[in-house]
Order: sequence, then structure tokens, then C-alpha cells
Amino acid sequence: MEEENGELNPESGRASTKQHQEEEEEEDRKVVKFLDSADSYLDLFESLSSTLRQGWLELATARQSMGASRINSALFDLKYHSAATSLQVIQDDVKQPNFTLCKWVSIDNRNSSTEEAKFDENELFEKNSTNAQLRYRGTSEIQEKRPESNVSTLTVDDQIQKERSKSLSMFGTLVSPKLRSAQISFETALDTLVEMANMRSSLLSTYDQVHKDMASTKVDEKLIAQVQV
Amino acid sequence: MYGFEALTFNIHGGYLEAIVRGYRSGLLTAADYNNLCQCETLDDIKMHLTATEYGPYLQNEPSPLHTTTIVEKCTLKLVDEYKHMLCQATEPLSTFLEYITYGHMIDNVVLIVTGTLHERDVQELLEKCHPLGMFDSIATLAVAQNMRELYRLVLVDTPLAPYFSECITSEDLDDMNIEIMRNTLYKAYLEDFYQFCQKLGGATAEIMSDLLAFEADRRAVNISINSIGTELTRDDRKKLYSNFGLLYPYGHEELAVCEDMDQVRGVMEKYPPYQPIFAKLSYGESQMLDKAFYEEEVKRLCLAFEQQFHYAVFFAYMRLKEQEIRNLMWVSECVAQNQKSRVHDSVVFIF
Repeated sequence: MEEENGELNPESGRASTKQHQEEEEEEDRKVVKFLDSADSYLDLFESLSSTLRQGWLELATARQSMGASRINSALFDLKYHSAATSLQVIQDDVKQPNFTLCKWVSIDNRNSSTEEAKFDENELFEKNSTNAQLRYRGTSEIQEKRPESNVSTLTVDDQIQKERSKSLSMFGTLVSPKLRSAQISFETALDTLVEMANMRSSLLSTYDQVHKDMASTKVDEKLIAQVQV
Repeated sequence: MYGFEALTFNIHGGYLEAIVRGYRSGLLTAADYNNLCQCETLDDIKMHLTATEYGPYLQNEPSPLHTTTIVEKCTLKLVDEYKHMLCQATEPLSTFLEYITYGHMIDNVVLIVTGTLHERDVQELLEKCHPLGMFDSIATLAVAQNMRELYRLVLVDTPLAPYFSECITSEDLDDMNIEIMRNTLYKAYLEDFYQFCQKLGGATAEIMSDLLAFEADRRAVNISINSIGTELTRDDRKKLYSNFGLLYPYGHEELAVCEDMDQVRGVMEKYPPYQPIFAKLSYGESQMLDKAFYEEEVKRLCLAFEQQFHYAVFFAYMRLKEQEIRNLMWVSECVAQNQKSRVHDSVVFIF
């Protein structure tokens, strides 16, 4: 029996050492993931700040070019209309909600469009709604699943351009290229904000996991200390 | 007869020419702009401007200041100076001075009509109108549903009435129609102003022809660039160009078919007066084009003061003052946004 016990103990010891090592590696991975997320979040924050500064300056440049009477808040359209861009919050995991931006696809357009246009707009919807996820996940899996011909890409880009022009039309149809640049800058800032929201969600989730691991490690250490005593 | 204005001009125009030359000496210099560009806050800008001719207009403004407040008060000074000159002027100078404000009138009409289309309050829109372009029945513009009503109800009794003959339709006012209306009105105004100056003759006709031709050419270039990638057809674009200027008619033919900035550049570089402007820009760039055009305009406006006994000095002063106000707006925006490194991107020095 003692011999049997002697044969069993080294194997279970090796198994528990291996398990312990794996746990440690897993903890280290979580810590690294947490630090990566924090770093990415700070980078996105800087990028947002710089994009917004650029956008505001371009807007001021456009006012300089077109005149203050052509670009001012009194021209904003107060008629009822659907938002050109919407944000979807998917909360499959309570602790890690996911944010998706759907750009330049207003409900008004979708309801009134023809069949062909609806097909184009559905493509537009899918392309714009997965864009934020593509950037967030950093993989090409989703891209490979959706075979895109050059012709449909051009049609979707034309549609996006039309929507952009439509939203700028409150300032007139012949606007300065600087105003269009300002629009692109603010659009980029919106994309960055959604990325930041997703990154923050991931950061908080990873933080919780690391915190939990640290708490359980402390409990284990206490137990070991008590046993030794 | 050209050359004999010295004999008779001062009878009716001498006092006002002296007044406007006095106003001109009050324009901000490069030293003033250098001081303003070093300001850290809008209150610093206000403090520096208090020591200039803008002092009485800004000194009582409470903090915190806004960039629009600075622009508003500086514009008030321009309006006061203009009104002083207008009330002292006799014909034909009084008509000439009124012509200078028709551009602002057109902008105000379009502002009210566009704002009404967007369901904005008329009072709010009236506050945003340029004071030089106000007229009595301007608030009634909000009632019109199409251009025919616009003309019949309001504009028939205004100086803009003759300019409406080309754009009276029963089509409803939408964004594209309003834009075409704006540019058509401005085209008609510029042509009418040009004809009026030709009738005046002498140094006024000569100098104003050059200044108005430059304005017409600049508008043609801006319309071409701004309409790239829009639904405006080539024919419609060509209809918005004025029927005078250095680019008329062959330059207009070529500009009408341009699809990008490089093609516009290719057209303009064929005209020697515009070669230096486009030489400053790199290929594909349009950011600095406005500044280049403003610099050229300021040069021509300053040259108008080199001759005496003509009305172009009044036009030149008004335009130089507007440029000064644009400069102040830009400096204020850069200071407010903490982007002082970009302040020299758009400031055009006058002296």
C-alpha cells in the first residue's frame, strides 16, 4: 500500500505542478490581455482627440471660405427625419456588451427605396455594421466569408457618398471641400468612439477576470499558510 | 471724359473720399496681427483690439467672450462707417454704395428661405442675417413656398427684383433649387454692377472692371470646385458663371467639364494673372486656394487707393474691412481651439 502510495504520489505531484503552471500561464495571459487593452484604449483616446481637433479646425476653415452666414447653427434641419447613423448594443455577455455602428443607413431610406436599391442598402447596412467589429476583432474571417465584387463595392461607396452629401445639404448643395473634410473627420471620430467603447468593455471584463484570479490566489496562499502553521 | 475727374470729383465726392481714406488708415497692420496671434485667450484678443479702432465696440463686452461676439461687434463698426458714408453720399455715389451691399442681401434672402425650409424660427434667422443686407420686408420671406411667391410677395419691391427674371419658376424651394437661385442671383447682380460701373466711366469703370472681373473669375473657380462630385450637371454649372471676366467665354467652357482639382488647375494655369496663384499650390491641393485668392484680391484692392477721384476706393475699403473681419474671426477661432500653430494658414495681411 505504501509502495502503491509511493508510486501514485510522484504522478499526482507532476500533474498538479503541470496544472499549476497552466493556471499561472492563463493568469499571465489575462494580465497581458488587460495591459494590451489598456494600451489600445489610450491610443484610441489620443487618436480621437487629434481627429476632433482636426475636424473643428476644418469646420472653422470652411466658415472662413464660405462665410459665417452659410455655416451656422441656424441652418440645422429641425424637420422630423430618421437618424442617418445608429448605434446597436449587443449584450450577449452581461459583463462585456458589444457596440456596433450602422452608418448612413436611415430608416426613411430603407422604407421608401426600390427592390434594387434595397439590395444595395442591405449590403451597405451589413458593410457598415460589421466595420466596427472588423476593426475590433482584427481578423479577416468575416471579410473572407463575404465575397464582394468590385462593382457592388463601387455602388455601396456611391450610396455612402450620396448620403454624406445629403446630410451636408442643409448648408447648401455647393459646399467647400473643407466642409466635406470636416464631415469625414467627425465621422472618423465617431468610429473611434465606438472602438473605444468596445475596447473599454473588453478592458473592464479582463480587469474583472484578473481581479478574480488575484483574489482566489490570495485565498489559496492563506490556506497554505494556515496548513503550514 | 477720363482724366478730367480732378476738375469736378471733389464737388460731390471729395469729402467722402477723404473720409474713406481716413478709414483705410485705421485698418490693422501686420504688427497688430502679430500681437493678436500671440494671444492666449479671447479676452487677450479683446484687450488688444480695445487699443485699436474697435475699442468702443468691444470694451463693454462681458467675459467669457465668444468668437461670434467679436465678429459681430467688428461688423457693427463696418456697418456704422458704411451708413455714415451712405447718408452723406449723393447720386451716383449713393447708388454705387448701395450696390456694394446687394451681395449681403442675396445671402440674407437665402439664409431666411433655407432656414424656413428647415423649420427654424424667423426671429432666430433674422438675428443671423448680415446687417448690411437687411431690408424692410425681409421677415415676410418665410411665407413664400416657391420662387414665384418669393418674387411676388417680397422681392418685387427690393433692389433684387431685376435679378429674378432668370430664376422665376413655380418649383418648390428645395436645397438644390435654393443653391441655383443663390448663384443665379449673384451672377445677375455682378453683371448689373459691372454695367453700372461701365456707365460711370473714367477711373471708376477701369478699376472696378478689374476688381469685378476678378470676383467673377473667382466665383467661377469656386463653383467648379464645389460642384465636383455633386448632382449639378455641366450645363447647369456653366449657367452659373458670369458673362464677363478674364475666363469668359473660353475658360468657362473648360471649367464646366472639370471633374477634379487638377483639371481646374490645368485650365487656370493658361491665364497668366492666375498662374502665380496656382503655382503656390501642390498638385491635388485645394486647401490653400482660398488664401491665395484672398491675397491676390487684397493686392488689387490696395492698388485701388493709388489713384484719386474715383468710386472704387469705397468698394475697396468695404472689401478690405471684410477681409480684416475674416482675419479676426480666424485668429479668434485658432485661439479658442488652442491651435495657434495654424493661425497663419488663413490670415491675409493687408499692410
